[in-house]
Amino acid sequence: MALMRAVRMGLGAALCLVAISCGGGGGSSTSTPAPPPPPANNVVSVIVDQGPTVNGSPIGSVNTLFATITVCVPGSTTSCQTIDHIQVDTASYGLRLLAPPLTLTLPVETLANGNSLVECTPFLDGYSWGPVVLADVQIAGETAKSLPVQVIGDSRFPTVPANCSGMTTGIAEDTVTSFGANGILGIGPFELGCGDCDTNAAEGFYYACGTSCTETVVPTAMQEPNPVTRFAADNNGSIIDLPAVASTGAATLTGSLIFGIDTQSNNQSGTQTVLTVNGNAELSMTFNGQTLASSFIDSGSNGIFFADSSIVTCTETGLTSFYCPGNTLTLGLSIQGANGVMANNLTFNVGDTQTISTTAPTDTYDVLPQLAGTLPAGNSDTFDYGLAFFYGKRVAVAVEGDTTSVGTGPYIAF
Amino acid sequence: MPIFRPGEIKIAALLCAVLITALAPRIASATLGEPEITVQSDVAQLRASIKSSEDRVGYRVHEIQLPSGTLLREFVAPAGNVFAVAWNGPTQPNLRQALGKYFDALASAPKPKFVDHRHLQIQQGDLVVQGSGHMRAGFSGRAYLASAVPSGVNLGDLH
Repeated sequence: MALMRAVRMGLGAALCLVAISCGGGGGSSTSTPAPPPPPANNVVSVIVDQGPTVNGSPIGSVNTLFATITVCVPGSTTSCQTIDHIQVDTASYGLRLLAPPLTLTLPVETLANGNSLVECTPFLDGYSWGPVVLADVQIAGETAKSLPVQVIGDSRFPTVPANCSGMTTGIAEDTVTSFGANGILGIGPFELGCGDCDTNAAEGFYYACGTSCTETVVPTAMQEPNPVTRFAADNNGSIIDLPAVASTGAATLTGSLIFGIDTQSNNQSGTQTVLTVNGNAELSMTFNGQTLASSFIDSGSNGIFFADSSIVTCTETGLTSFYCPGNTLTLGLSIQGANGVMANNLTFNVGDTQTISTTAPTDTYDVLPQLAGTLPAGNSDTFDYGLAFFYGKRVAVAVEGDTTSVGTGPYIAF
Repeated sequence: MPIFRPGEIKIAALLCAVLITALAPRIASATLGEPEITVQSDVAQLRASIKSSEDRVGYRVHEIQLPSGTLLREFVAPAGNVFAVAWNGPTQPNLRQALGKYFDALASAPKPKFVDHRHLQIQQGDLVVQGSGHMRAGFSGRAYLASAVPSGVNLGDLH
């Protein structure tokens, strides 16, 4: 990937030289160069609300951050569609769109052997199967041309390999309701979601589909990248900036997703804590005196998830994996980056989930900062700090290998 | 390129048969709820290999290496049935195979409230299935039959 980037940068530099020499060829070398183009609008509004509308009713999302994007057939400025309620996710990579609300027919990527490239996306609560297509993707004023994007539930590839559908619950997450969004925008601190899919044809990632589908290796340029890394500028990371919310929650919350770090006046680094993440995009968190080495901060998790057998879990059907301590608990946490930097003395609240889920007005609230649940006791080295981490913070996610004024990605800073 | 030449396959098959005979019924690795003895097909179906088998207090654990790099552990009660399976690694294992007749219960189980893409939490009758994970880091989880867990076994050890 570093090589690819070097090649691209080299190509960019070469084109630049060509442009300069051509410009100079016309005449005087003392002519004033054209002013640089104005910076792109790099801010898109994001919202935590009740989610996309299906059959006239919102699906009822909780602690889920959404943005609106525009997708075009590559090269077209007219065959375009603006799609709302795309989930913003810092723990996945790539743009994935649900087929039902998508009105465009986007071209499927074809492998060297002529087969179509189709992906099985490893989400936990079901499987998401569909082709990797190409699209021009615009978010705010930023554009990624011919971006590989997955279309989930695309009717052109109806047959799901058994080792894809068997990997999770056997439930196809190919509708807006079952998926919980019109799509998902994976902008984690890496370029690609799979570290070795260019050399390893593992089950549950990419498939080559001809008359049937088999696992395949995929050149990195054909895999779905974090779209930010394909923007022309402001492509070294992104910043999620959300206002604080009352501990009891709120109906909705509106903030900003800002592209680039230290590339424009509105995305400058300051004195924040910079925590480098490891190759798994994880950090070390210390909770209850235990060091949890496989922890992560994740805008795509809707709660705060950790194992603590001393906190009572709920008994109500459907809530048994969430905590019900009665009165709200305030607990301490510290986070250490792979660079050794510590964020100490953080606190978070654990609410009574049964109360949260049933007490008015919280039953109409979609922003629930105290929603916390269990991880299986075997997951004793993980603390999964979900979207609640982002409430009241400005959190920067820098992409691997990219440098800002305060460090080199992959890092998360706040 | 074939991994084995035909001669090697024959030898490997023979060794395998000898090993199975020698270790049966100790080696199993099986589908949830099924007898330990049923399992060889499981390993074959998953194109996997048994990495280790270990007797612990109150149960036996078979560790199966899947081709994806994921480890699948199967927990066998003294009575001989698989009461739990657990996994961790870069991809989810094929739960249809590992959970056998219980797999269909996953789809029919009531969806818990507040679901997201990072967690799997299902309780359907006797069956409990839990998982979590994310891209780049991989996935872990477990499934067990609550009533079949031998007394004295700590659920925290089933991973």
